[in-house]
Amino acid sequence: MKKYLKQYYHALLKEFKLVKGDAGVLIFMILLPIAYPIVYSLIYNPELVRDVQLVVVDNDRTPMSRELVRRIDAAQGAWVIGYAANLGEAKRAMHEHEAYGILEIPEGFDRKIGLGEQAEAVMYCEMSLLLRYRGLLVSATDVMQEMGASISTERIDRIAPLAETIAAGDLMPIDNIQMGNIEGGFDSFVMPGILMLILQQSLILAVSMCGGAKRDDPRKASFRPLEQRHPSVLATMLGQTTVYLIMAIVPIIYIVHYVPLMFRFPMAGNTLEELMFIIPMVLSSIGLGFVLQGIVRERESIFVIWVVTSVVFLFLSGLTWPRYAITGFWRVLADAVPGTWGVEGFIRMNTNGASLAQVHKEYENLWILTGIYMVAGYLVQRFVQRPHIIAAARSMESTGNRTDAPEASKTH
Amino acid sequence: MSAFGQIFKRSVLQLVRRPIYWIGFFLLPLFCFLFLADLMADGLPIKAPAAIVDNDGSPLSRKVSQQLASMQMVDVVATPHSFTRARHLMQEGEIYGYFLIPENFEADLLAGRGPAITFYTNMTYYVPASLLYKTFKTTAVYTKAGVAAEVMNSVGITSDASAMLMPVNITVRGLGNPGLNYAWYLCVSFIPCVLQLMIVLITCFSLGQEIKYGTSARLMAMARGSVLRAVTAKLLPQTLIWWVIAIFMESWMFGWQGYPMHGSWWWITLSELMFVLACQGFGLLIYSALPNLRLSLSVGALLGILSFSIAAFSFPVQSMYGAVAITSYIVPTRYNFLIYIDQALNGIDIYYSRWWYVAYIIFMLAPLPLMPRLRKALQNPVYVP
Repeated sequence: MKKYLKQYYHALLKEFKLVKGDAGVLIFMILLPIAYPIVYSLIYNPELVRDVQLVVVDNDRTPMSRELVRRIDAAQGAWVIGYAANLGEAKRAMHEHEAYGILEIPEGFDRKIGLGEQAEAVMYCEMSLLLRYRGLLVSATDVMQEMGASISTERIDRIAPLAETIAAGDLMPIDNIQMGNIEGGFDSFVMPGILMLILQQSLILAVSMCGGAKRDDPRKASFRPLEQRHPSVLATMLGQTTVYLIMAIVPIIYIVHYVPLMFRFPMAGNTLEELMFIIPMVLSSIGLGFVLQGIVRERESIFVIWVVTSVVFLFLSGLTWPRYAITGFWRVLADAVPGTWGVEGFIRMNTNGASLAQVHKEYENLWILTGIYMVAGYLVQRFVQRPHIIAAARSMESTGNRTDAPEASKTH
Repeated sequence: MSAFGQIFKRSVLQLVRRPIYWIGFFLLPLFCFLFLADLMADGLPIKAPAAIVDNDGSPLSRKVSQQLASMQMVDVVATPHSFTRARHLMQEGEIYGYFLIPENFEADLLAGRGPAITFYTNMTYYVPASLLYKTFKTTAVYTKAGVAAEVMNSVGITSDASAMLMPVNITVRGLGNPGLNYAWYLCVSFIPCVLQLMIVLITCFSLGQEIKYGTSARLMAMARGSVLRAVTAKLLPQTLIWWVIAIFMESWMFGWQGYPMHGSWWWITLSELMFVLACQGFGLLIYSALPNLRLSLSVGALLGILSFSIAAFSFPVQSMYGAVAITSYIVPTRYNFLIYIDQALNGIDIYYSRWWYVAYIIFMLAPLPLMPRLRKALQNPVYVP
């Protein structure tokens, strides 16, 4: 037992030395999870898409049509930048990227309302961005209801004072209540999930880079590769994991608590429970990093291989494309990613105010993944990574490099 | 063989010999194309799990429930007996929204006491919440219209009920994507952005390898001291491979997957080919500014991933803070997206897109001023770990 403790302690010290002397690892383990959330949140912080540019083609030119335009202009999602003489001119404004929508009011708009018929108008939306379309759509719907209510009040008063309930417009009020992200902001929707993915990716990248650094330079290994007897792989891994956990504490607390605080995301959850929930996600990410060390021949190649997976994980997580619509092979793949469960659980705790007990399914799955990746990581360390380092150390020795000089690597 | 040809041959051999290039050129981009397109093949995530809380239990409320359950976009998976239970289901992730029919709904409605129908959507998930919102609202509006027509008939108003309830109707038409196909939004922007990321990384990686392993001095010697000859001959084989991939990407998206293509294939093809060169220029710019394998890859990776956000594929540039919005224009993939919108989605005259093509050219030329710096770095390779 004492022997293992000693090995554990030695591995811990050695790994700590490596991490603190390696700018690349420090950048990915600490700087990235601290800087990225700020950059991302700044991009999306305006939250809502307001005042989408709109051109009006008014073929009616009556008080009622002008009323409609005024109301649309006043709505949150739309901004009337001007009138066009005809549809062709309006289209040109759209092609010049000056406007993203056209409101066409036909002749007879006012007259139809006067006659008690339904007055129609058409809004054409440019469809390059869903959020712009949504801004215009919501504005049109709101104005339609508002204006409709005031017109029918007048009209019904005139013909049938009886039907009071319809006149007041609340025969049956319809309300929508947005849960969790109550203002429906884009930042508050997308960021809590992205935070989890940032945490996962930064840990995986940092741990794999630690492995690559050792293959590049075996003197940095957590054991002495040229000795006859090697310490237990398990003790070494525990020592390394301890270092990674210690390094990650500040970023984790920052991501779970301070980023939502700074950018005013919904924070309905209990911070302590959230931290409890994050632990298995962090551990399984570290485990995945240990596994990846098996294929990282040099520290830089991990960039080429791993960075693009962030996009894949984003979609697998169910943040943009919901999980119920992910099926078959992709579902299985998604289930094997720590971030998938991390995103699901964290969003629901942080934004919907779920308790740890309510996300027990995600929590348990994260622990299962931790088990799987740690065991796989053990196998990789034992049968791939360690033999590689020993072989590299031997070849280094035979070419005359001094392998006993502990810090020589720093200077070359 | 000329100096150019020799470097070209050397660089082809380098690419063929290392598995990481096979992964970077083919495996990862093709996987991402397939993944994104296949994941969103349905266009919309229909059948969003939802619940109905029917506190009334009257014939009318049951009819409303049935109507809602038969809608295409929703999958009613639960009928909890209380609001609290429904909220818990939402917190547990079982449902994305619920529809609440209050107690005494039918009686109140017929008596004119105006009972409210309320529906709750979990806005922590934008897409399912929007779909549920639409479905819930439609159901509620139909219910209301049906009841209103009855009430009006009973008091003797015979005029058109729809004109009465909705005197003003604005029809909203989405140009080019009337079905709100979600894949058309995400795939056409994210897939080229993946390509940009890989091109930038591979460009930096392949140049960085020369300096890391000290072979760059030999490369410069082969190029007889001309950094331009060295770089073009080194990168040309990559250009050719990326062109094949880019053309495949174009056919994959607009041909096989049937994403909207309302313009000229020639302009889109030209855009993809120039896009490859622009991305290589962008990568070369990063590498020349930071001629260090790790640093340039870090910056390339960070910018490449940020591109998915700053290129404004979902949140419009006009809504961003000014200082952030500017950065949208410093990544090539933004112009690829703008050209797609103009030339494929909207199919408008090429005249309106002229500047986006010019932007590509600027990216190709941008690394030129830094060439002396790159020459120095290549001639005296120093690997800083």
